[in-house]
Amino acid sequence: MRIAIPTLKRTALVLACGSMLALAACDDNDSFDVASQIGPNPSLPELKQYLFPPMRLAPVVGWKAGEKPTVANGLKIEALATGLQHPRSLYVLPNGDILVVESKSPGTDPVHRPKDIVMRAVEAWVTSGGDTGASNRITLLRDSNGDGKPAAQSVFLDHLTSPFGVALVGSDLYVANTDAIMRYPYNTGDAKITSPGTQLTALPGGPIDHHWTKSLVASPDGSLLYVGVGSNSNITENGLQAEENRAAIWEVDRASGRWRIFASGLRNPNGLTWEPQSGALWAVINERDELGPDLVPDYMTSVKDGGFYGWPYSYFGQHIDPRVEPQRPDLVEKAIVPDYSLSSHVAPLGLAFYTADSLPQKYRGGAFVGEHGSWDRPQFNGYKVVFVPFSGGRPSGKAEDVVTDFLNSDQKARGRPVGLAVDKSGALLIADDVGNTVWRVTAGQ
Amino acid sequence: MPDNFRPSLRSTARIAGHPIHPMLVPFPIACFVGVFLTDLVYWRTADMLWADFSTWLVTVGLIMACLAAIAGLVDFLSSRSIRLQPPAWPHAIGNVVVLILATLNMLVHTRDAWTSVFPWGLTLSTVVVLILLFTGWMGWSMVDRYGVGVAK
Repeated sequence: MRIAIPTLKRTALVLACGSMLALAACDDNDSFDVASQIGPNPSLPELKQYLFPPMRLAPVVGWKAGEKPTVANGLKIEALATGLQHPRSLYVLPNGDILVVESKSPGTDPVHRPKDIVMRAVEAWVTSGGDTGASNRITLLRDSNGDGKPAAQSVFLDHLTSPFGVALVGSDLYVANTDAIMRYPYNTGDAKITSPGTQLTALPGGPIDHHWTKSLVASPDGSLLYVGVGSNSNITENGLQAEENRAAIWEVDRASGRWRIFASGLRNPNGLTWEPQSGALWAVINERDELGPDLVPDYMTSVKDGGFYGWPYSYFGQHIDPRVEPQRPDLVEKAIVPDYSLSSHVAPLGLAFYTADSLPQKYRGGAFVGEHGSWDRPQFNGYKVVFVPFSGGRPSGKAEDVVTDFLNSDQKARGRPVGLAVDKSGALLIADDVGNTVWRVTAGQ
Repeated sequence: MPDNFRPSLRSTARIAGHPIHPMLVPFPIACFVGVFLTDLVYWRTADMLWADFSTWLVTVGLIMACLAAIAGLVDFLSSRSIRLQPPAWPHAIGNVVVLILATLNMLVHTRDAWTSVFPWGLTLSTVVVLILLFTGWMGWSMVDRYGVGVAK
């Protein structure tokens, strides 16, 4: 017995050290070329599953006086409005008034697991710049002379339920709350809506409401509305029942409120908008987490009627996700490969095609994408606005940086870009939800 | 057993003469047996509710196991006589292995959905229960057969 003890002790020590090494090995350095995942054929490394998924968070510090993001050559940027409450999306009315949707999470994601407690703390940390109270409203910015200095900033519509998308059809203004599409009467020049509104269609909201932003766009003829409904989990960990009618784009009949699933398998679709040349519906999609720093790339894609884009069963076509049970080979087989990868975990939330003419020629007809930025990879990715050139209705080149340095030199978040819009003068507007600012990008040095 | 040998088999970590270690060990044992069962049910049903039970059980089990280990370690380190009992080292080393495997299992169970349990979660849960059968036997024989921690 006395002789056996040291051997046993050594075995235990080896076991202990071995498992510590295994844990440390998960934190491997990432030498992957992110640029290889930008475009229609991203390189997809082998998937990994972790004991500690890599994570890197950018604590929020906000913008100091005089600080602003960096823009590409030929552009300049100024703050159009500051002191907002978590501005997430933008809508430009026909008279040039700008609606800033200030919105925060419904906070209904329950604690199902010990992990949820940790994730909640993580999320609170990286959104702390914006959570100062009076949000869930729409603020109107009126800049009648178009000089980038609004003469008026006032509350346009208040007491909303985690709103995101806005669409105007005639004199009907639609707001996509997280749990319903609401309709309000609007007359050109109105600076405030006091009507309580009427509900057009209920949308999947609580009790979990993991991905809560409901992006909204009207069809060109105004008869239909399209709304993005994100998944209720990362990868079905809240059960498949919770995903009913989610991870989809709905088509809603504006007259009756009846709806159908237009396309599915889209984990968290946002930035719904029409590609100007082809007239196709496009969206940016946030893909799944915890398969590695370079999986799965977020993407932008045209959205086909009846199309299935993989989530949760597979990604980028037929790449199967082992975390989903039961598997559905029948669905995986018909999963459409998305059009254009934006690289992994950039978190695209805004998309705007540029059809105006005041920015330099190269931007005309292409798409701006607002990338909110990564949290689950060792190197930050995103935290910028990029431009994807288009030709003939398809992306025609590599994405290039347009607005950067939302992270400061200490890698702390001064702001994070979300929704985009183009104002009446043709300037690009950017909602910055933790910087509590709307930025305006114009031509100039 | 000589009379003067007895006191050194007393537990050091004790409350009012009651050893703490045997009061705490039922928690990790019940939790780790529980996670084995809920992992089995999740494996058969793919109903996330069972995986949620599993992740709570393995997490709470691990926390309680650490507390039990501290009390056990105090007893173990403060008495050479306890260490000299034949089941002492196998019991201690076996449970260190349990702690390591349960830590890994807890982390595996933080994954999302199916692979939080299958295959590695269920495998680790099974191995932990098998080792516990052995270490539990050793632990109980220290009390029952050798009188460790037993009041005079």
